[in-house]
Amino acid sequence: MATRAFADLAKSNASKRGMPHIRAAFTPHPVWGKTAEQLRAYIDGNDPVSGKPLMKEIIDGLTVPLTAEDTKTGMMDVSVGPPVYGPDTLDNLQKHFLNNGMTDFLPVIIPTQEKVDAMLKGTSHKPDEVVGKMAAGAFAPWTYTVRQVAVNAVMAGCEPEYFPIVLAIASTGMAALGSSTTSFAYSMVINGPIRDQLNMNYGIGAMGPFAQPNATIGRAWTLLGKNLGNGGIAGDTYMGSQGNNTNYNNIVIAENEKESPWTPFHVQKGFKPEENVVSLFAGEDIRQGHGARGAGVLENPMFDDQISDMFRTLTSQFNALVICDPLTVKRLVEQGYDTKEKLMDWLWQNTKRTAKEYRDSAFVYTFHKPLAQRGIEPYATWYNCPEDTLIPWWPKPDDIALVVTGGQTNPFFQVGNLNYRVSVSIDKWM
Amino acid sequence: MNRRKLLSLLGMSPALLAGSRAEAQKTRTGKSAAPEEPKYQALNPKGTPPPVKLVPMAPRLDTIHGKTVYLVDTGFMGGGTLLQQMQAWFNQNMPDVTVVFRKKAGPYMEDDPPLWKEIKEKGNAAIMAIGH
Repeated sequence: MATRAFADLAKSNASKRGMPHIRAAFTPHPVWGKTAEQLRAYIDGNDPVSGKPLMKEIIDGLTVPLTAEDTKTGMMDVSVGPPVYGPDTLDNLQKHFLNNGMTDFLPVIIPTQEKVDAMLKGTSHKPDEVVGKMAAGAFAPWTYTVRQVAVNAVMAGCEPEYFPIVLAIASTGMAALGSSTTSFAYSMVINGPIRDQLNMNYGIGAMGPFAQPNATIGRAWTLLGKNLGNGGIAGDTYMGSQGNNTNYNNIVIAENEKESPWTPFHVQKGFKPEENVVSLFAGEDIRQGHGARGAGVLENPMFDDQISDMFRTLTSQFNALVICDPLTVKRLVEQGYDTKEKLMDWLWQNTKRTAKEYRDSAFVYTFHKPLAQRGIEPYATWYNCPEDTLIPWWPKPDDIALVVTGGQTNPFFQVGNLNYRVSVSIDKWM
Repeated sequence: MNRRKLLSLLGMSPALLAGSRAEAQKTRTGKSAAPEEPKYQALNPKGTPPPVKLVPMAPRLDTIHGKTVYLVDTGFMGGGTLLQQMQAWFNQNMPDVTVVFRKKAGPYMEDDPPLWKEIKEKGNAAIMAIGH
Protein backbone atom coordinates (compact mmCIF):
# COMPACT_ATOMS: atom_id res chain seq x y z
CA MET A 1 0.00 0.00 0.00
CA ALA A 2 1.33 3.41 -0.96
CA THR A 3 -0.12 6.87 -1.47
CA ARG A 4 -1.47 7.82 -4.88
CA ALA A 5 1.58 9.96 -5.66
CA PHE A 6 3.58 6.74 -5.94
CA ALA A 7 1.13 4.72 -8.04
CA ASP A 8 3.24 4.73 -11.23
CA LEU A 9 6.49 4.26 -9.32
CA ALA A 10 5.13 1.30 -7.32
CA LYS A 11 3.99 -0.50 -10.46
CA SER A 12 7.05 0.24 -12.58
CA ASN A 13 9.56 -0.54 -9.83
CA ALA A 14 7.84 -3.85 -9.07
CA SER A 15 7.86 -4.62 -12.77
CA LYS A 16 11.61 -3.93 -13.02
CA ARG A 17 12.05 -6.44 -10.22
CA GLY A 18 10.11 -9.14 -12.07
CA MET A 19 6.67 -8.53 -10.55
CA PRO A 20 4.66 -6.73 -13.26
CA HIS A 21 1.33 -7.88 -11.80
CA ILE A 22 1.94 -6.89 -8.20
CA ARG A 23 -1.24 -6.08 -6.30
CA ALA A 24 -1.06 -2.64 -4.78
CA ALA A 25 -3.63 -0.38 -3.19
CA PHE A 26 -3.37 3.37 -2.75
CA THR A 27 -4.48 5.97 -0.24
CA PRO A 28 -4.86 9.69 -0.91
CA HIS A 29 -1.65 11.70 -0.60
CA PRO A 30 -0.05 12.68 1.72
CA VAL A 31 -0.17 10.61 4.89
CA TRP A 32 2.26 12.64 6.97
CA GLY A 33 0.86 15.63 8.85
CA LYS A 34 -2.63 14.09 8.98
CA THR A 35 -4.50 13.36 12.18
CA ALA A 36 -5.57 9.87 13.17
CA GLU A 37 -9.15 10.85 12.27
CA GLN A 38 -8.12 12.00 8.82
CA LEU A 39 -6.20 8.81 8.24
CA ARG A 40 -9.18 6.78 9.41
CA ALA A 41 -11.15 8.53 6.67
CA TYR A 42 -8.51 7.30 4.19
CA ILE A 43 -9.06 3.74 5.45
CA ASP A 44 -12.85 4.06 5.25
CA GLY A 45 -12.70 5.76 1.83
CA ASN A 46 -11.88 4.73 -1.71
CA ASP A 47 -8.58 3.90 -3.32
CA PRO A 48 -8.12 7.06 -5.45
CA VAL A 49 -6.49 5.08 -8.26
CA SER A 50 -9.04 2.27 -8.71
CA GLY A 51 -12.04 4.17 -7.29
CA LYS A 52 -12.96 1.09 -5.21
CA PRO A 53 -13.22 0.98 -1.39
CA LEU A 54 -9.66 0.81 -0.07
CA MET A 55 -10.15 -2.07 2.37
CA LYS A 56 -12.01 -4.13 -0.24
CA GLU A 57 -9.12 -3.50 -2.62
CA ILE A 58 -6.64 -4.73 0.00
CA ILE A 59 -8.62 -7.81 1.00
CA ASP A 60 -9.22 -8.67 -2.67
CA GLY A 61 -5.48 -8.32 -3.26
CA LEU A 62 -4.87 -10.96 -0.61
CA THR A 63 -7.66 -13.35 -1.54
CA VAL A 64 -8.66 -13.14 -5.23
CA PRO A 65 -7.15 -16.18 -6.98
CA LEU A 66 -4.05 -15.64 -9.08
CA THR A 67 -4.26 -15.64 -12.88
CA ALA A 68 -1.93 -17.50 -15.23
CA GLU A 69 -0.11 -14.21 -15.86
CA ASP A 70 0.43 -13.76 -12.11
CA THR A 71 2.26 -17.05 -11.83
CA LYS A 72 4.23 -16.86 -15.05
CA THR A 73 7.95 -17.58 -14.90
CA GLY A 74 10.74 -16.85 -17.36
CA MET A 75 12.58 -13.73 -18.40
CA MET A 76 11.17 -10.26 -19.03
CA ASP A 77 11.96 -8.18 -22.10
CA VAL A 78 14.36 -5.44 -21.01
CA SER A 79 15.26 -3.98 -24.40
CA VAL A 80 16.50 -0.40 -24.45
CA GLY A 81 16.14 -0.02 -28.22
CA PRO A 82 18.42 -0.61 -31.19
CA PRO A 83 22.15 0.09 -30.93
CA VAL A 84 21.88 2.79 -33.60
CA TYR A 85 19.13 5.25 -34.60
CA GLY A 86 18.76 6.52 -38.16
CA PRO A 87 19.88 7.30 -40.74
CA ASP A 88 17.92 10.51 -40.34
CA THR A 89 18.43 14.25 -40.34
CA LEU A 90 20.09 15.89 -37.36
CA ASP A 91 16.83 17.68 -36.54
CA ASN A 92 14.86 14.44 -36.52
CA LEU A 93 17.47 12.66 -34.43
CA GLN A 94 17.46 15.58 -32.01
CA LYS A 95 13.67 15.26 -31.69
CA HIS A 96 13.93 11.52 -31.26
CA PHE A 97 16.42 11.85 -28.41
CA LEU A 98 14.32 14.60 -26.81
CA ASN A 99 11.00 12.76 -27.12
CA ASN A 100 12.40 9.50 -25.78
CA GLY A 101 13.76 10.83 -22.51
CA MET A 102 17.44 10.59 -23.44
CA THR A 103 18.32 14.25 -22.85
CA ASP A 104 18.13 16.93 -20.18
CA PHE A 105 15.63 18.72 -22.48
CA LEU A 106 18.33 20.97 -23.83
CA PRO A 107 19.67 20.26 -27.33
CA VAL A 108 22.43 17.68 -27.36
CA ILE A 109 25.30 16.94 -29.72
CA ILE A 110 24.07 14.00 -31.77
CA PRO A 111 26.40 11.07 -30.99
CA THR A 112 27.39 9.93 -34.47
CA GLN A 113 29.89 7.14 -34.82
CA GLU A 114 32.50 9.67 -35.92
CA LYS A 115 32.05 11.84 -32.83
CA VAL A 116 32.00 8.86 -30.48
CA ASP A 117 35.17 7.50 -32.08
CA ALA A 118 36.83 10.89 -31.53
CA MET A 119 35.73 10.87 -27.88
CA LEU A 120 37.16 7.38 -27.42
CA LYS A 121 40.58 8.76 -28.40
CA GLY A 122 40.51 10.65 -25.09
CA THR A 123 41.27 7.44 -23.18
CA SER A 124 43.57 4.46 -23.54
CA HIS A 125 40.85 2.15 -22.30
CA LYS A 126 39.15 -0.20 -24.77
CA PRO A 127 35.65 0.77 -25.92
CA ASP A 128 34.09 -2.48 -24.70
CA GLU A 129 35.62 -2.36 -21.23
CA VAL A 130 32.93 -2.37 -18.57
CA VAL A 131 33.24 0.82 -16.51
CA GLY A 132 30.72 0.13 -13.77
CA LYS A 133 27.12 -0.14 -12.65
CA MET A 134 24.73 2.66 -11.85
CA ALA A 135 21.24 2.99 -10.45
CA ALA A 136 19.67 6.42 -10.20
CA GLY A 137 17.64 5.40 -7.15
CA ALA A 138 16.45 2.22 -5.50
CA PHE A 139 16.51 0.18 -8.70
CA ALA A 140 18.52 -2.70 -10.09
CA PRO A 141 21.71 -1.10 -11.49
CA TRP A 142 22.53 -1.00 -15.19
CA THR A 143 26.02 -1.71 -16.52
CA TYR A 144 27.90 0.30 -19.13
CA THR A 145 31.07 0.28 -21.18
CA VAL A 146 33.62 2.94 -22.09
CA ARG A 147 31.79 3.38 -25.41
CA GLN A 148 28.41 3.94 -23.75
CA VAL A 149 29.98 6.57 -21.48
CA ALA A 150 31.54 8.18 -24.57
CA VAL A 151 28.14 8.47 -26.26
CA ASN A 152 26.85 10.48 -23.31
CA ALA A 153 29.99 12.61 -23.11
CA VAL A 154 29.51 13.54 -26.78
CA MET A 155 25.86 14.43 -26.14
CA ALA A 156 26.88 16.72 -23.26
CA GLY A 157 29.32 18.64 -25.46
CA CYS A 158 32.55 17.34 -23.92
CA GLU A 159 35.83 17.40 -25.79
CA PRO A 160 37.84 14.15 -25.91
CA GLU A 161 40.41 15.49 -23.45
CA TYR A 162 37.64 15.84 -20.83
CA PHE A 163 36.70 12.19 -21.24
CA PRO A 164 38.93 10.75 -18.45
CA ILE A 165 37.06 12.89 -15.92
CA VAL A 166 33.70 11.65 -17.20
CA LEU A 167 34.95 8.07 -17.07
CA ALA A 168 36.25 8.57 -13.52
CA ILE A 169 32.80 9.84 -12.48
CA ALA A 170 31.10 6.93 -14.26
CA SER A 171 33.44 4.47 -12.52
CA THR A 172 31.99 5.45 -9.13
CA GLY A 173 28.54 4.23 -10.11
CA MET A 174 27.13 7.35 -8.47
CA ALA A 175 24.25 8.91 -10.39
CA ALA A 176 23.59 12.65 -10.31
CA LEU A 177 19.86 12.01 -10.22
CA GLY A 178 18.01 10.32 -7.36
CA SER A 179 14.60 8.73 -7.09
CA SER A 180 13.65 10.34 -3.78
CA THR A 181 10.84 12.84 -3.27
CA THR A 182 13.62 15.12 -2.06
CA SER A 183 15.03 17.11 -4.99
CA PHE A 184 18.68 16.23 -4.52
CA ALA A 185 21.66 18.22 -5.71
CA TYR A 186 25.07 16.86 -6.66
CA SER A 187 28.51 18.35 -6.72
CA MET A 188 32.00 17.46 -7.87
CA VAL A 189 35.37 18.89 -6.84
CA ILE A 190 38.19 18.55 -9.34
CA ASN A 191 41.83 18.77 -8.25
CA GLY A 192 45.19 18.38 -9.91
CA PRO A 193 47.01 19.71 -12.98
CA ILE A 194 44.23 18.63 -15.34
CA ARG A 195 42.33 21.76 -14.31
CA ASP A 196 44.90 23.90 -16.08
CA GLN A 197 45.41 21.48 -18.95
CA LEU A 198 41.70 21.71 -19.76
CA ASN A 199 41.44 25.44 -18.99
CA MET A 200 38.86 24.77 -16.31
CA ASN A 201 37.55 27.87 -14.65
CA TYR A 202 38.42 28.29 -10.98
CA GLY A 203 38.67 32.08 -11.14
CA ILE A 204 35.96 34.67 -11.70
CA GLY A 205 32.57 33.00 -12.03
CA ALA A 206 34.12 29.61 -11.24
CA MET A 207 30.78 27.95 -10.52
CA GLY A 208 28.88 29.69 -13.33
CA PRO A 209 28.39 29.00 -17.03
CA PHE A 210 31.69 30.42 -18.17
CA ALA A 211 33.89 27.53 -19.27
CA GLN A 212 33.27 24.58 -21.55
CA PRO A 213 34.89 21.85 -19.40
CA ASN A 214 33.10 22.95 -16.21
CA ALA A 215 29.78 23.16 -18.05
CA THR A 216 29.91 19.99 -20.09
CA ILE A 217 31.57 17.62 -17.62
CA GLY A 218 28.87 18.56 -15.11
CA ARG A 219 26.17 18.07 -17.73
CA ALA A 220 27.60 14.69 -18.72
CA TRP A 221 27.14 13.47 -15.15
CA THR A 222 23.40 14.10 -15.35
CA LEU A 223 23.16 12.36 -18.73
CA LEU A 224 25.03 9.37 -17.29
CA GLY A 225 22.39 9.09 -14.58
CA LYS A 226 19.62 9.36 -17.14
CA ASN A 227 20.89 7.00 -19.79
CA LEU A 228 23.26 4.66 -18.01
CA GLY A 229 21.53 4.61 -14.62
CA ASN A 230 17.94 4.63 -15.94
CA GLY A 231 17.10 7.73 -13.90
CA GLY A 232 15.44 11.05 -14.38
CA ILE A 233 12.03 9.92 -15.62
CA ALA A 234 9.67 12.19 -13.69
CA GLY A 235 6.95 10.22 -11.89
CA ASP A 236 8.77 6.96 -12.51
CA THR A 237 12.47 6.93 -11.63
CA TYR A 238 12.49 10.55 -10.40
CA MET A 239 10.08 11.74 -7.69
CA GLY A 240 11.67 15.01 -6.46
CA SER A 241 8.67 17.16 -5.68
CA GLN A 242 10.04 20.49 -6.91
CA GLY A 243 13.09 19.41 -8.88
CA ASN A 244 16.49 21.00 -8.59
CA ASN A 245 17.87 23.46 -11.12
CA THR A 246 21.43 22.39 -10.37
CA ASN A 247 20.64 19.02 -11.95
CA TYR A 248 21.21 20.53 -15.41
CA ASN A 249 24.95 20.41 -14.97
CA ASN A 250 25.49 20.00 -11.21
CA ILE A 251 27.72 22.04 -8.94
CA VAL A 252 31.14 21.75 -10.55
CA ILE A 253 34.04 23.08 -8.49
CA ALA A 254 37.58 23.15 -9.85
CA GLU A 255 39.52 23.99 -6.71
CA ASN A 256 41.64 27.14 -6.95
CA GLU A 257 44.79 25.48 -5.65
CA LYS A 258 46.97 28.32 -6.94
CA GLU A 259 45.39 30.98 -4.75
CA SER A 260 44.49 28.82 -1.78
CA PRO A 261 46.88 28.75 1.17
CA TRP A 262 45.16 25.60 2.39
CA THR A 263 45.78 21.94 1.54
CA PRO A 264 43.92 20.96 -1.64
CA PHE A 265 40.89 18.77 -1.09
CA HIS A 266 42.30 15.69 -2.85
CA VAL A 267 45.45 15.83 -0.70
CA GLN A 268 43.21 15.85 2.37
CA LYS A 269 41.81 12.59 1.02
CA GLY A 270 45.22 10.95 0.67
CA PHE A 271 46.15 11.70 -2.93
CA LYS A 272 49.38 13.37 -4.03
CA PRO A 273 49.26 17.02 -5.15
CA GLU A 274 50.24 16.10 -8.72
CA GLU A 275 47.45 13.54 -9.07
CA ASN A 276 44.22 14.37 -10.89
CA VAL A 277 41.20 13.52 -8.78
CA VAL A 278 37.46 14.06 -8.86
CA SER A 279 35.51 14.00 -5.58
CA LEU A 280 31.74 13.62 -5.54
CA PHE A 281 29.11 14.98 -3.17
CA ALA A 282 25.35 14.51 -2.88
CA GLY A 283 22.74 16.30 -0.83
CA GLU A 284 20.17 18.99 -1.01
CA ASP A 285 21.29 22.37 -2.20
CA ILE A 286 23.70 25.28 -2.02
CA ARG A 287 23.35 28.83 -0.72
CA GLN A 288 25.49 31.94 -0.81
CA GLY A 289 27.01 33.92 2.05
CA HIS A 290 28.57 37.36 2.10
CA GLY A 291 31.84 36.77 3.86
CA ALA A 292 32.75 40.45 3.88
CA ARG A 293 31.53 41.12 7.38
CA GLY A 294 33.60 38.56 9.16
CA ALA A 295 36.34 37.84 6.71
CA GLY A 296 36.99 41.12 4.98
CA VAL A 297 35.89 44.26 6.78
CA LEU A 298 35.35 44.00 10.50
CA GLU A 299 37.91 42.84 12.96
CA ASN A 300 35.64 40.03 14.04
CA PRO A 301 38.12 37.17 14.13
CA MET A 302 35.53 34.53 13.46
CA PHE A 303 33.84 33.38 10.30
CA ASP A 304 30.99 35.37 11.82
CA ASP A 305 27.51 34.43 12.78
CA GLN A 306 26.21 34.43 9.23
CA ILE A 307 27.67 31.03 8.53
CA SER A 308 26.19 29.78 11.80
CA ASP A 309 22.82 31.07 10.68
CA MET A 310 23.26 29.34 7.35
CA PHE A 311 24.13 26.10 9.08
CA ARG A 312 20.88 26.36 11.01
CA THR A 313 18.99 25.97 7.72
CA LEU A 314 20.79 22.73 6.83
CA THR A 315 19.35 19.30 7.53
CA SER A 316 21.28 16.76 9.54
CA GLN A 317 20.66 14.15 6.90
CA PHE A 318 23.50 15.65 4.89
CA ASN A 319 26.79 17.21 5.88
CA ALA A 320 28.22 20.57 4.83
CA LEU A 321 30.37 21.55 1.89
CA VAL A 322 31.72 25.06 2.48
CA ILE A 323 33.12 26.69 -0.66
CA CYS A 324 35.26 29.73 0.06
CA ASP A 325 36.57 32.35 -2.32
CA PRO A 326 40.37 32.62 -1.99
CA LEU A 327 39.90 36.18 -0.70
CA THR A 328 37.85 34.85 2.21
CA VAL A 329 40.43 32.18 2.91
CA LYS A 330 43.34 34.63 2.94
CA ARG A 331 41.52 36.76 5.49
CA LEU A 332 40.76 33.69 7.58
CA VAL A 333 44.42 32.67 7.49
CA GLU A 334 45.36 36.12 8.78
CA GLN A 335 42.95 35.48 11.63
CA GLY A 336 44.68 32.26 12.57
CA TYR A 337 42.82 29.66 10.52
CA ASP A 338 45.89 28.57 8.61
CA THR A 339 44.59 25.04 8.00
CA LYS A 340 41.25 23.75 6.84
CA GLU A 341 41.11 21.58 9.95
CA LYS A 342 41.19 24.58 12.28
CA LEU A 343 38.23 26.17 10.54
CA MET A 344 36.36 22.86 10.32
CA ASP A 345 36.81 22.44 14.06
CA TRP A 346 35.61 25.99 14.77
CA LEU A 347 32.56 25.56 12.58
CA TRP A 348 31.73 22.26 14.21
CA GLN A 349 32.09 23.72 17.72
CA ASN A 350 30.14 26.90 17.02
CA THR A 351 27.16 25.73 15.01
CA LYS A 352 25.07 23.90 17.56
CA ARG A 353 21.35 23.61 18.23
CA THR A 354 19.31 22.26 21.09
CA ALA A 355 18.51 18.59 21.36
CA LYS A 356 14.83 19.51 21.05
CA GLU A 357 15.40 21.25 17.71
CA TYR A 358 17.37 18.24 16.55
CA ARG A 359 14.69 15.74 17.55
CA ASP A 360 11.90 17.77 15.96
CA SER A 361 13.43 17.39 12.49
CA ALA A 362 11.53 15.09 10.13
CA PHE A 363 14.78 13.80 8.67
CA VAL A 364 16.15 13.02 12.11
CA TYR A 365 12.92 11.17 12.94
CA THR A 366 13.19 9.10 9.77
CA PHE A 367 16.93 8.43 9.66
CA HIS A 368 18.54 8.97 13.08
CA LYS A 369 15.83 7.86 15.49
CA PRO A 370 15.99 4.20 14.34
CA LEU A 371 19.78 4.32 14.84
CA ALA A 372 19.37 5.90 18.29
CA GLN A 373 16.91 3.14 19.22
CA ARG A 374 19.62 0.60 18.39
CA GLY A 375 22.03 2.41 20.71
CA ILE A 376 24.28 3.71 17.93
CA GLU A 377 26.29 6.76 19.02
CA PRO A 378 26.17 9.72 18.99
CA TYR A 379 22.49 9.44 18.04
CA ALA A 380 21.53 7.49 21.18
CA THR A 381 23.03 10.23 23.39
CA TRP A 382 21.48 13.00 21.31
CA TYR A 383 18.08 11.38 21.71
CA ASN A 384 18.35 10.84 25.45
CA CYS A 385 19.99 14.05 26.68
CA PRO A 386 17.94 16.96 28.18
CA GLU A 387 16.05 19.01 25.59
CA ASP A 388 18.11 22.16 26.08
CA THR A 389 21.48 20.41 25.62
CA LEU A 390 23.46 21.97 22.79
CA ILE A 391 24.56 19.39 20.27
CA PRO A 392 26.63 19.80 17.10
CA TRP A 393 25.09 19.58 13.68
CA TRP A 394 27.09 16.49 12.74
CA PRO A 395 28.96 13.78 14.66
CA LYS A 396 32.50 15.04 13.89
CA PRO A 397 34.36 18.07 12.50
CA ASP A 398 35.37 16.40 9.26
CA ASP A 399 31.71 16.02 8.35
CA ILE A 400 32.30 19.59 7.17
CA ALA A 401 34.24 19.72 3.89
CA LEU A 402 36.07 22.88 2.82
CA VAL A 403 37.12 23.75 -0.72
CA VAL A 404 38.35 26.93 -2.36
CA THR A 405 37.31 28.45 -5.66
CA GLY A 406 36.60 31.86 -7.10
CA GLY A 407 38.13 34.95 -8.61
CA GLN A 408 38.78 37.13 -5.53
CA THR A 409 36.49 39.98 -6.55
CA ASN A 410 34.71 39.78 -3.18
CA PRO A 411 35.20 37.61 -0.08
CA PHE A 412 32.18 35.39 -0.53
CA PHE A 413 31.47 31.84 0.44
CA GLN A 414 28.80 29.30 -0.36
CA VAL A 415 27.47 26.49 1.77
CA GLY A 416 26.09 23.27 0.38
CA ASN A 417 24.07 20.77 2.39
CA LEU A 418 26.08 18.07 0.70
CA ASN A 419 27.66 14.80 1.80
CA TYR A 420 31.13 13.87 0.68
CA ARG A 421 30.89 10.47 -0.97
CA VAL A 422 34.06 9.46 -2.79
CA SER A 423 37.29 10.62 -4.45
CA VAL A 424 38.59 8.76 -7.52
CA SER A 425 41.63 9.02 -9.75
CA ILE A 426 41.19 10.67 -13.13
CA ASP A 427 44.68 9.58 -14.24
CA LYS A 428 43.56 5.96 -14.17
CA TRP A 429 41.19 6.74 -17.05
CA MET A 430 43.64 8.60 -19.29
CA MET B 1 43.00 31.55 -43.91
CA ASN B 2 39.88 29.55 -44.79
CA ARG B 3 36.89 31.08 -46.51
CA ARG B 4 34.68 31.01 -43.40
CA LYS B 5 37.20 32.97 -41.32
CA LEU B 6 37.78 35.44 -44.16
CA LEU B 7 34.03 36.13 -44.47
CA SER B 8 33.80 36.62 -40.71
CA LEU B 9 36.57 39.17 -40.79
CA LEU B 10 34.81 41.00 -43.60
CA GLY B 11 31.67 41.12 -41.47
CA MET B 12 29.80 38.71 -43.70
CA SER B 13 27.84 35.75 -42.44
CA PRO B 14 29.41 32.36 -43.07
CA ALA B 15 25.88 31.31 -43.98
CA LEU B 16 26.57 32.92 -47.33
CA LEU B 17 28.77 29.98 -48.06
CA ALA B 18 25.69 27.79 -48.25
CA GLY B 19 23.87 30.40 -50.30
CA SER B 20 26.63 30.56 -52.86
CA ARG B 21 26.56 26.78 -53.27
CA ALA B 22 22.82 26.81 -53.86
CA GLU B 23 23.26 29.57 -56.41
CA ALA B 24 25.83 27.50 -58.26
CA GLN B 25 23.47 24.54 -58.34
CA LYS B 26 20.68 26.70 -59.73
CA THR B 27 22.98 27.87 -62.54
CA ARG B 28 23.95 24.34 -63.49
CA THR B 29 20.43 22.90 -63.56
CA GLY B 30 18.61 26.00 -64.71
CA LYS B 31 16.04 25.72 -61.85
CA SER B 32 16.05 25.80 -58.02
CA ALA B 33 16.46 22.43 -56.28
CA ALA B 34 16.64 22.14 -52.51
CA PRO B 35 19.74 20.12 -51.65
CA GLU B 36 18.87 16.98 -49.75
CA GLU B 37 19.60 17.31 -46.06
CA PRO B 38 22.41 15.02 -44.99
CA LYS B 39 21.45 12.04 -42.85
CA TYR B 40 23.29 10.55 -39.91
CA GLN B 41 23.17 7.62 -37.58
CA ALA B 42 23.25 8.16 -33.84
CA LEU B 43 24.44 5.68 -31.24
CA ASN B 44 22.02 4.63 -28.54
CA PRO B 45 23.11 6.32 -25.27
CA LYS B 46 21.43 3.82 -22.97
CA GLY B 47 23.27 1.48 -20.64
CA THR B 48 22.58 -2.23 -20.36
CA PRO B 49 19.84 -3.29 -17.95
CA PRO B 50 20.24 -6.51 -16.00
CA PRO B 51 18.21 -9.54 -17.04
CA VAL B 52 14.95 -9.58 -15.11
CA LYS B 53 13.47 -12.89 -14.05
CA LEU B 54 9.72 -13.02 -13.55
CA VAL B 55 8.82 -13.68 -9.92
CA PRO B 56 5.60 -15.67 -9.60
CA MET B 57 3.26 -14.12 -7.06
CA ALA B 58 2.78 -15.86 -3.72
CA PRO B 59 -0.33 -18.05 -3.39
CA ARG B 60 -3.40 -16.15 -2.22
CA LEU B 61 -5.53 -16.98 0.79
CA ASP B 62 -9.04 -18.36 0.24
CA THR B 63 -10.18 -16.00 2.99
CA ILE B 64 -8.60 -13.80 5.63
CA HIS B 65 -11.24 -14.70 8.22
CA GLY B 66 -9.51 -16.40 11.13
CA LYS B 67 -6.09 -15.60 9.74
CA THR B 68 -3.15 -13.54 11.05
CA VAL B 69 -2.31 -10.39 9.10
CA TYR B 70 0.85 -8.37 9.76
CA LEU B 71 0.78 -4.61 9.19
CA VAL B 72 4.33 -3.36 8.56
CA ASP B 73 5.29 0.27 9.02
CA THR B 74 8.42 1.15 7.04
CA GLY B 75 9.10 4.31 9.05
CA PHE B 76 7.86 7.16 6.92
CA MET B 77 6.11 9.82 8.96
CA GLY B 78 2.42 9.07 9.40
CA GLY B 79 2.68 5.47 8.18
CA GLY B 80 2.39 4.05 11.67
CA THR B 81 -0.72 6.08 12.48
CA LEU B 82 -2.32 5.02 9.20
CA LEU B 83 -1.73 1.35 9.91
CA GLN B 84 -3.03 1.70 13.47
CA GLN B 85 -6.24 3.04 11.96
CA MET B 86 -6.32 0.02 9.66
CA GLN B 87 -5.84 -2.20 12.69
CA ALA B 88 -8.84 -0.47 14.31
CA TRP B 89 -10.85 -1.08 11.12
CA PHE B 90 -10.08 -4.81 11.26
CA ASN B 91 -11.00 -4.94 14.94
CA GLN B 92 -14.37 -3.34 14.20
CA ASN B 93 -15.22 -4.98 10.88
CA MET B 94 -13.41 -8.33 10.90
CA PRO B 95 -12.77 -9.15 14.57
CA ASP B 96 -11.82 -12.73 13.77
CA VAL B 97 -8.70 -11.52 11.95
CA THR B 98 -5.63 -11.35 14.18
CA VAL B 99 -3.79 -8.17 13.34
CA VAL B 100 -0.13 -7.70 14.33
CA PHE B 101 1.43 -4.25 13.95
CA ARG B 102 5.19 -4.07 13.45
CA LYS B 103 7.59 -1.22 12.81
CA LYS B 104 10.34 -2.40 10.47
CA ALA B 105 13.77 -2.09 12.08
CA GLY B 106 16.16 0.66 11.00
CA PRO B 107 15.68 3.51 8.54
CA TYR B 108 13.35 2.78 5.63
CA MET B 109 16.10 1.72 3.20
CA GLU B 110 17.29 -1.10 5.45
CA ASP B 111 16.20 -4.67 5.07
CA ASP B 112 14.73 -6.49 8.09
CA PRO B 113 15.19 -10.27 7.53
CA PRO B 114 14.16 -11.26 11.10
CA LEU B 115 10.79 -9.58 10.59
CA TRP B 116 10.22 -11.31 7.24
CA LYS B 117 11.11 -14.62 8.93
CA GLU B 118 8.63 -13.94 11.73
CA ILE B 119 5.87 -13.10 9.25
CA LYS B 120 6.53 -16.29 7.26
CA GLU B 121 6.41 -18.39 10.42
CA LYS B 122 3.53 -16.76 12.27
CA GLY B 123 1.53 -14.82 9.72
CA ASN B 124 -0.74 -15.65 6.81
CA ALA B 125 -0.51 -12.31 5.03
CA ALA B 126 1.25 -8.96 5.29
CA ILE B 127 0.36 -5.41 4.29
CA MET B 128 3.20 -2.89 4.00
CA ALA B 129 2.64 0.85 4.04
CA ILE B 130 5.24 2.77 2.09
CA GLY B 131 5.79 6.54 2.11
CA HIS B 132 4.76 9.69 2.88
